[in-house]
Amino acid sequence: MRRGEAEGICPQVATVERDHSAEMVAFEGVVTAVEDLIPNVEVVEPGLVFVPVAGAVGYYGGEGPLIERVVKEIDRVAGAGFRIGVAEGPFAAKQASINATGDPPMLLVEDDEAFLASLDISTVGREELVSTFQWLGITTLGELARLPGGTIASRFGAAGLDAHRRASGRDRDLNPRDLPIDLTVSERFSPPLEDLEQAAFVARAMAGRLVEALASFGAAPFRIVVEAEAADGTVRSRTWLSADPLDDRAISDRVRWQLRAWVDGVGAGIRGGLVALRIEPANLSGVGRQLALGEDARAAAETVRAFTETQAILGRDELLQAHPQGGREYGDRVAWHRWGEPPVSRRDPDAPWPGRIPGPSPALVPPAPQPFHIEWDGGMPTRVRLGSRWVTVRSWAGPWRRVGRWWKGEEPGDQYQIVTSAGAFLCEIRGGATWLTGIYD
Amino acid sequence: MASELPVSSDDQGRALSAGSDTDYGLRTTDYGFDLPFLGPGQVGVLTGDAGLGMTRLGLVLLSDHARTGPVAYLDVRGWLSPLAAWEVGIEPDRLVIARCRDVIRWGKAVASLLDGAAAVLAEVPIGAKDASIRKLAALARNRGTPLLLRPLDRAVPTGVAHLTLEARETSWSGAVDGHGRIERRKTLLMASGKAMRGMTRTIEMEDDGSNTLRVVSGVAAAESRSVAG
Repeated sequence: MRRGEAEGICPQVATVERDHSAEMVAFEGVVTAVEDLIPNVEVVEPGLVFVPVAGAVGYYGGEGPLIERVVKEIDRVAGAGFRIGVAEGPFAAKQASINATGDPPMLLVEDDEAFLASLDISTVGREELVSTFQWLGITTLGELARLPGGTIASRFGAAGLDAHRRASGRDRDLNPRDLPIDLTVSERFSPPLEDLEQAAFVARAMAGRLVEALASFGAAPFRIVVEAEAADGTVRSRTWLSADPLDDRAISDRVRWQLRAWVDGVGAGIRGGLVALRIEPANLSGVGRQLALGEDARAAAETVRAFTETQAILGRDELLQAHPQGGREYGDRVAWHRWGEPPVSRRDPDAPWPGRIPGPSPALVPPAPQPFHIEWDGGMPTRVRLGSRWVTVRSWAGPWRRVGRWWKGEEPGDQYQIVTSAGAFLCEIRGGATWLTGIYD
Repeated sequence: MASELPVSSDDQGRALSAGSDTDYGLRTTDYGFDLPFLGPGQVGVLTGDAGLGMTRLGLVLLSDHARTGPVAYLDVRGWLSPLAAWEVGIEPDRLVIARCRDVIRWGKAVASLLDGAAAVLAEVPIGAKDASIRKLAALARNRGTPLLLRPLDRAVPTGVAHLTLEARETSWSGAVDGHGRIERRKTLLMASGKAMRGMTRTIEMEDDGSNTLRVVSGVAAAESRSVAG
């Protein structure tokens, strides 16, 4: 739900910005506890972790005993509120955890495809495709999985194929590529870095280098391994997984969250400071990395990030976009909306709207009419007052009668265009007073 | 001098036809003389009183960059009418308007807009510090984002602007003693800075307010309309 809608329903609603770093600090205990039982834990986001259990099942004597140990450990470090799903692939496992029931909630899936078949199509996670699928009568993942993959690919492209793979329970194998060289990026620090912000800044530059190097091979990572070496020789490592290819921003975010989790979370932290940082890309794939002609995904992502930051600085109501709508007054012809929200035009801009003043439009229109002083002589304007000085009128046009919204108590007025050596002004005489309604700047 | 309010001839007055006043399509620019284009990271300054056409000229310069990405207008007064931006060819989807009256947050807002927009036109509020403007100019160069500054009360510090355009006077045609309506504008500008190779040149700009702009070099050419073509 968008903030505007939420505020419409409940004006007292308080908005709290999500802090991934703090969430990761809280989640680090769970990850460490699971990692103590099963190696190769992959974190997707704070709160969601994937664990490959094939090897551990044999070690612990079956899925039942293994899950019992995992439940016990998570319960010890985090208490109740967690959910567990077990399936062949990560997408099915995540859906299983969402649909888990019992105490504690857990669901063991025997057949991924059969389990996924009954789920609603919206769970596929591709919002832009879901409405089209629904319009075509595809309402469950099973119905999508039954369609030929080639047909889906030709109609919906890479995004459709990805959705089809997920619906079929085949999201694990993304055709990983082997590159001829190791593109791992690493940095050593002397003296050790003790400031988390400094480390995050370095991580951002490293992520940029990594993504640039991978881009030259047309690849992007779905998984990264973050490794940090402390001054006391301790090396800590964590794998992060993503359903979509990670870009430089996503990588640097994950490194930052992880470093903060190591520093502020459970465990010994990074004692003596950070002496080395390493980011290793894994599960490389070219899937979805071919941009459309003229598309610059990184620039678009940077734009969204920058405008979101501007919104945070100014407030959501101060970063706006506008779209044309019908109306007679200049102000009425503009439908404003917050940046990032869909435009809402209430009136048809192509309707005739008789009586409106044609272009050129004044570049400056005050939000409310401003008092304006005009000197008249024999029904003709002669001078206007601009600040502290009077300027001679060179020419003028009007009056044009504006009837006004009489049903709202508005008085009728007469509009004039006044031209002086200092520019042209649109003004209105209403109720015996003169008002400035636009400047042709 | 007597002050007398005019009254329209009848209750309905003279209603103007809606006409085809607005074209949201592409702008066709006809330069009789090269209006300096603001390249990546270059800073332009637009000075002159409100009414002399500098907002529209700024929007024209901004529209060159709106073809490559979204452009941002930082509106200190809160008076900008997007209609003028659409008329010079900026697509509604490509224009983002930030409103900020506070001097402190103004600098931060411009800095963050420079990170994401293809170009930024920022009104400079009263009380903005030279150091803040210099930092923003350096940031624009660093980011490679063109920055247009429209000071509301003062000159920007020296050495910041790659191009300075100062409006001197303007005249409109089309309206005569109550008849017609304003249609075309001529504005006299002084252009200076590195973009003008260190010289100060006088430029006469013609503007029909919609999507055509003609620039005629040199006021010495009294018959400028024939030069404009």
